[in-house]
Amino acid sequence: MSKRYRQWVKEYQDQAWTVARYILKDAQEAEDATQEAFVKLWNNQDSIDPERVRPWLMKVTRNGCLDRLRRRKESVEFDESHMSADINGPMHGASVSETGAWLKRAIGGLKEPYRSLVVLRDVNQHSYEEVAGMLELSLAQVKTYLHRARKQLREQLAEVRP
Amino acid sequence: MNKYDEKWEEQINALLDGELSQTDAELLKAEASDDRDLARAIIEAYQLQQAMDDIRVERAPDSLRKRLRAIPRQHRRAPLFNIFQPPWAAAFAVIPLVFMVLIMMQPNTPSTQEIEKARQDLAIAFAYLDKAGQFAGREIESTVGNTMSDAIAGSIIRNIKSQYETSKEKEV
Repeated sequence: MSKRYRQWVKEYQDQAWTVARYILKDAQEAEDATQEAFVKLWNNQDSIDPERVRPWLMKVTRNGCLDRLRRRKESVEFDESHMSADINGPMHGASVSETGAWLKRAIGGLKEPYRSLVVLRDVNQHSYEEVAGMLELSLAQVKTYLHRARKQLREQLAEVRP
Repeated sequence: MNKYDEKWEEQINALLDGELSQTDAELLKAEASDDRDLARAIIEAYQLQQAMDDIRVERAPDSLRKRLRAIPRQHRRAPLFNIFQPPWAAAFAVIPLVFMVLIMMQPNTPSTQEIEKARQDLAIAFAYLDKAGQFAGREIESTVGNTMSDAIAGSIIRNIKSQYETSKEKEV
């Protein structure tokens, strides 16, 4: 196994999985999408700038997930029943606080590209510049969209909190 | 729904991102002391940030980790040149076929050796013909006389020889 590839798997598997998990809301499909992204990484490893592997991988993972969503013709609207049926995913992590669990569902309910923006920036902690590159948006667009997404989440959080 | 001025939204996010300058932060603070909705928005933003801290990156399941580690074994990269790879094998199989087709497409012209052999055969044939002519001349001479036999046998031989000369000129 390529040492370089093994290192990338170690460093980025959790982040890619998180992106896939939030977008697809289905553990099995998220695994498949993440694996597909890493297969592409393996096949293209010689043509990718080693400094840009992380944004490249996140972008490929996200695009793969969006393709899957289109294929299954499922609305990207928040699907409460689907979420609650999947008890093993991040939406129901046992170690996560009640607010955290609620927030995960709320993020899952955001529309694209708001959902990806929040996951990439606030969950995966990518820089604004990296997120802009991944989503092929300008820096100004990333900030504006992210502000809107956060505002939505804030308002929802305010409603559920006493 | 908060009713504060939307222009502060950017400032709130910059504050949470740690990108707000000291001056702007002071300005926001001053504004929030007079605007209850803005103050509430800032508090909610902080609460959201705290909640975000609970949901860091998820750990990939073991089944996925296993699948990712198996990728190099399952997707071996093809070497640049391998004679046993299907594209190259096909190319190599095509080469003799192309040669055969090219040979078949060549015009059917005899080789130099074949021409030389034919010339020798023809020379032998003319030697026989010469002898036959002489024999015929003697036969005719014995039957109709010397002058007539020369005329008949000689004209036959001259005719055949002229045809031979013409064919040689054509070859040249």
